[in-house]
Parts: sequence; structure tokens; C-alpha cells
Amino acid sequence: MSLVSGPGRGGGSDSALPQELQLFVDKHVRYIQSLDKRKDELEYWLTEHLRLNGLYWGLTALHLLGHPDALPRNEVVDFVLSCLHDSGGFGAAPGHDAHMLYTVSAVQILATLDAFGDLEARVEGGRRKIAQFIADLQNPDTGTFAGDEWAEYDTRFLYGALNALSLLGHMDLVDVDKAVEHVQACANFDGGYGTGPGAESHAGQIFTCIGALSIAGRLDLVDRDKLGGWLSERQLKNGGLNGRPEKKEDVCYSWWVASSLAMIDRLHWIDQGKLTAFILSTQDPELGGLADRPGDMVDVFHTHFGIAGLSLLKFPGLAEIDPI
Amino acid sequence: MASHGVSRVAGSQTRSDLAREKELQQIARYNELVELVNRKVAERQYTVEVLSLTTKLLTENPEYYTIWNHRRRVLQHLFLSQTEPASLSSDKHQETLDFITADLSLTTSLLRQYPKCYWLWNHRYWVLQVGEARLQAVAARKLWQGELQLVTMMLGADSRNFHAWSYRRFVVGELERIPAQPNEVVPSKQSMVEAEFAYTTKMIKANLSNFSAWHNRSKLIPKLLDERESDDVARRRMLDDEFALIHEAFLDPFDQSIWYYHQFLMSTLSSRNSRESAIILDLTDTDRKRYCEQEINFIKDILEDEEDCKWIYEVLIQYSTSFPSLNGNESIITADDLREWLSKLRGLDPLRHGRWADLEYTLGL
Repeated sequence: MSLVSGPGRGGGSDSALPQELQLFVDKHVRYIQSLDKRKDELEYWLTEHLRLNGLYWGLTALHLLGHPDALPRNEVVDFVLSCLHDSGGFGAAPGHDAHMLYTVSAVQILATLDAFGDLEARVEGGRRKIAQFIADLQNPDTGTFAGDEWAEYDTRFLYGALNALSLLGHMDLVDVDKAVEHVQACANFDGGYGTGPGAESHAGQIFTCIGALSIAGRLDLVDRDKLGGWLSERQLKNGGLNGRPEKKEDVCYSWWVASSLAMIDRLHWIDQGKLTAFILSTQDPELGGLADRPGDMVDVFHTHFGIAGLSLLKFPGLAEIDPI
Repeated sequence: MASHGVSRVAGSQTRSDLAREKELQQIARYNELVELVNRKVAERQYTVEVLSLTTKLLTENPEYYTIWNHRRRVLQHLFLSQTEPASLSSDKHQETLDFITADLSLTTSLLRQYPKCYWLWNHRYWVLQVGEARLQAVAARKLWQGELQLVTMMLGADSRNFHAWSYRRFVVGELERIPAQPNEVVPSKQSMVEAEFAYTTKMIKANLSNFSAWHNRSKLIPKLLDERESDDVARRRMLDDEFALIHEAFLDPFDQSIWYYHQFLMSTLSSRNSRESAIILDLTDTDRKRYCEQEINFIKDILEDEEDCKWIYEVLIQYSTSFPSLNGNESIITADDLREWLSKLRGLDPLRHGRWADLEYTLGL
């Protein structure tokens, strides 16, 4: 059981009329379900390196939409475990190398489906093994994390590591203080954080750094008003959010920016009604799914982050999401 | 990856039978190639032939990270089959250089099409690091210098590409580390701070909205002053010059980049500012007060022509309240001023009404 991550449109039509401020729940559910049935499109194969992330995005969106059973649980668990390597890391799909990005998605899916028991039943000591794979990617000198053995460093991996380790109950395997020190080294004068020390503030990286500090219990290190001010300025007149000054809006920042604001108790610093309307305007009202901007091609990445944003904004009918 | 900016109409047409047939053939061909590369690598056939198969596959799909890993496995094998770098014969040295050059041109052409693909930037960095360990110092340095040209080209195409800016900082770090002259007993320091500072000036003059360049400048100035061993007079001149530069930029006061850089300059006046981001080292409260008043007065002047610019009210409130030395009997700001600015701000910027309500409460207005 897996889902295609590339752009496209949902299959199967429905005659319901599009209305403003309406979330097309059934269409999004069907769109996500359709993503496993696109093997006759080249895009399905070209995006195989995102399969496990795609499954996490699709599954989480379905849970938020109140349809947790829309994908068959056992087939999802089977697919996830088919991506597990002896090293304890997960690849994007069977035959793909292990990497932090997919290991985090795998752990998140297993946690969502309450499937750590299935894991242990099939791989003895599986949780510990996965946690060790992640822990071994920490750089003992700087505290940050690599994506894999080829040693690319980025605060994305640091957040992913802490997120997965906290779900696995194995934070004890890493030097959390050192990781926190690294996050501090990425802080800029504007209150934001970048991909590494010296890098420009970027909303996606702010999410990873604030998320990591939240998990580590060190939000006391954050200047909330300064960061909250910068994040609130990401909202543009059309209600959408951008990721950096003077850039265009994109639905995925509805998650990165809004969840960061929520973590520092400043979500009320943006216009939530306008953001809700912007996210809804990116839906494909006929075939389901959400896009980066109104009128564009949908994909499961934007579908997930748009719906997660709506959930954070307490859109009626959606399950509530944890901003971290 | 996720789609950005692709119109839905363009993707909604149903495929004709012919197009569908063609796509199925493409899929079959692509999957055959994937299978072939995976099989050969599993058999540890780390050969030049397999290297060129990965080239073909990566050109079709540069996001396929496992294939980049395979490529590195092959390259590692090809490098390691050579003798020690110090005793490299000129043939061997040339061969290593050829491998590296081939990977650099492959990733250059792919970066032009996929400038935001993480795996491409990452592979390039890996190739150069491995190559450096196996090449003579002069050749290695020349390669890193070529990287500076590449990244300048990439930033010419998209001046906000954060991958390119990060890579630029990496490359500069490497060039500063490698001695310019091989066999130096004490390697001379090859600082590039001056050149990089000049580069940000050039980028800013080309486009004032380039916050990436302003950001890099904010990181370079403190280093530049330390390296120049600037005295207090030179440090004050630097701050004055930066204020003058940003004042020119205020011609378009609706641009966020400019206000953020102005906030950076002001943040260096704070008593809580760290040494590593300092401009003036011996700031007194009198200095702080003087700079603050100077900037507040300058911004108030802009207000006369640009009364609809919310940034002006925002920073006026911020600066007036964050420098305690402005308070007291001689204060140029009154509570009425603050009240008026806040009310303007709320009118001009209703999106952030929650923030302004909190500010009003905090200021006790």
C-alpha cells in the first residue's frame, strides 16, 4: 500500500457545486485513495523516492478529515515495514537506501496506527534498533544530525531525529543539550533560524528549530515576541503565508508558520479567518486535493499541509492536530 | 516532488490512447534502467560503465537519492583503486581530475534545471571534498574557485535561492581554509570577507528587496571589522555608512527587507547584543541615545510623505520602547505619540490585529 507524491488530479467525478468556505472532505478522501492507482503514469515512478513521505502525508490528512480507515491499516503497515533496513533505518520505498527523512515518516506512521506492537512482533527489538539508527546520525562535535551516512547536515534532520526518538521513547540515546546548542547557533537577529549556522531565517527551518526546542523542553530560549513578529509578517493581503520576506504565498507555509506561531502562543497574531479562506481556495473542487496556490495542480504534500493548517485553525469537523 | 506553480488546467486534459501508449513505453524503459542499475550495484560492479548508467538515470530523475548514493559507491571504488595521493603519477592525477570534472559538469547542467534539488548540491559538495583529499593542492583550490563562479551564476538566475547562499558560505569557508601556495610552512590566512562584503553590496544595488544579501551582510560586517582591526572611529564610520545606505533604500518604504536590515543595525546598539554581532565596541548610553534619536527623527521625516506605510509606525514604537535611555525628562517621544502610532498601525494593518492588541496591553497604553 503506497501513494504517489507527484502532481496530478484526483480520479472519479462528483457533481456537487463548489462553494466558498466549504471543505470537500469526501473528494479529498477519494483523491488520497486514488494515489495508489496511478501506476500507468510516469510521475508515479519518478516520485518513488517520496513514497513513504507521501503515505505519511496522505494518512495524516485522512485522520484529520475523520476517515482514518480510508487506507487499509495492515497493508500500510506491511508497506512501511518493507522499507526497513537491517541498519534500523527506512528507505523511501523497497530497494531505496535508508535515510532520516523516511525513517521519521515511518515512525510517525507506525505511531499514528498504533503499530509499534506489529513492529516488535516482526522485528525483535525493532523500536530500539530504529532509535539507534537515528542516534548514530548525531554529530558528537556539533550536536546536529546528518541525513544518512553521506553526511548532509540540516536542522530538518535534527528536528526529525528528536520527533521520532520522542515517539519511540528513546530520547536517552542522544545528547539533547548539544542538539539544543546547535539550534541556538542557527538563530538570527530577526528571531528566526536557518538551515545551519549563518543561514538566513526561513519559515520551514523555524518550524524545525522551534519543534526541536519544544520537544527538548527549551522554549525558554526563544524570544517569542521577536520571532512571533517575524512569523506574523509572513501573512500577505490575500491571507496566504510566505516563507521569507518578499516571497510569494504557498499553502505549505500554512503549516510551517502557523504551527510555529502556535508553539510560541502567538497564533492569534495573524488573521486566521483569512488564512482559512486562502487554504480553502486552493482546493480542486471537482477532483479533490489542495495545491500551493489557487488554480494550480494539487499534490498530496500540499493537501496534507493545507488540511493540517485548517486543523490547527480549528476548522469545524476536523480532528485537532498537535503543532509539534 | 510537490508541484509549484503548475496550472491545473494544463494538467486536466485526458490523455489520448496514443499518448497513454507512449507513456507506458516510457515507464517500461525507465523501470528497466532502474532495475539494471540496482542489479549491477548489488553485484558490486563498480565500473565506469555503471557510472555512465547512473548518469543516464539521474539525468531523467535527479531526485532519486539512492542512485546518487550508488554513484558515490562507484566513485569511491574508482578513487580507492588508485595509489596514495602524494605519489600520484600525472596520469593518475589526471584521471581523478577527469572523474571530478565529469561529476561537476553533470550536476551543473542538472542544477540549471533543478536549482532547489537538495541532493544535487549535496553531491557536489561530496565530490569536491573527496577530490580534494586525492588531488594536488593547486588543482583542488582551482576547483573550489570554480565553485564560486558556479554559485554566482546560480544566484544570478535566482538571487534568493537559499541553497545557493548556503553553498556559497561553504565554498568561501573552503577557500579560506586551503593555503593559496602549496607547501607553506605557516599557511597564510586567505580571508574572503572583504570580497564577500563587496558581493552583497553589488547584489543589494541590483535589487533592494534581496533580503538574502542583506542577511549575509549582517553576518559579514562584524567579521570584516575584526579582520580590518578597525578602531573605534572606523567602527562608527561603518555604522554611519550602513545607516546612510539603508536611508537611500527607504525610497521604497513598503519593502520588508529594508526594515529588517534597519532593525539589524539598531539591534547592534542594544546593550544585550553579543560580541560576535557587534559593530561598535565601546558604545555608551549617550551614543545609543544619539543614534536612536537620529533614526527616529529620520523615520518621522519619511512619514510625512508615506503616511500609509505601516512599517514606519511599527518601528517607531519598537525603537521608542526598546531603548530605555530615551525615556526621562528629555525624551523626544510621548505617550500620546505611541498612542497615535499604534492607532495608525491598527488601521493600516488589520491582518495582525491580535498582535497590536497584545502590544497595546504590554505598553500599558
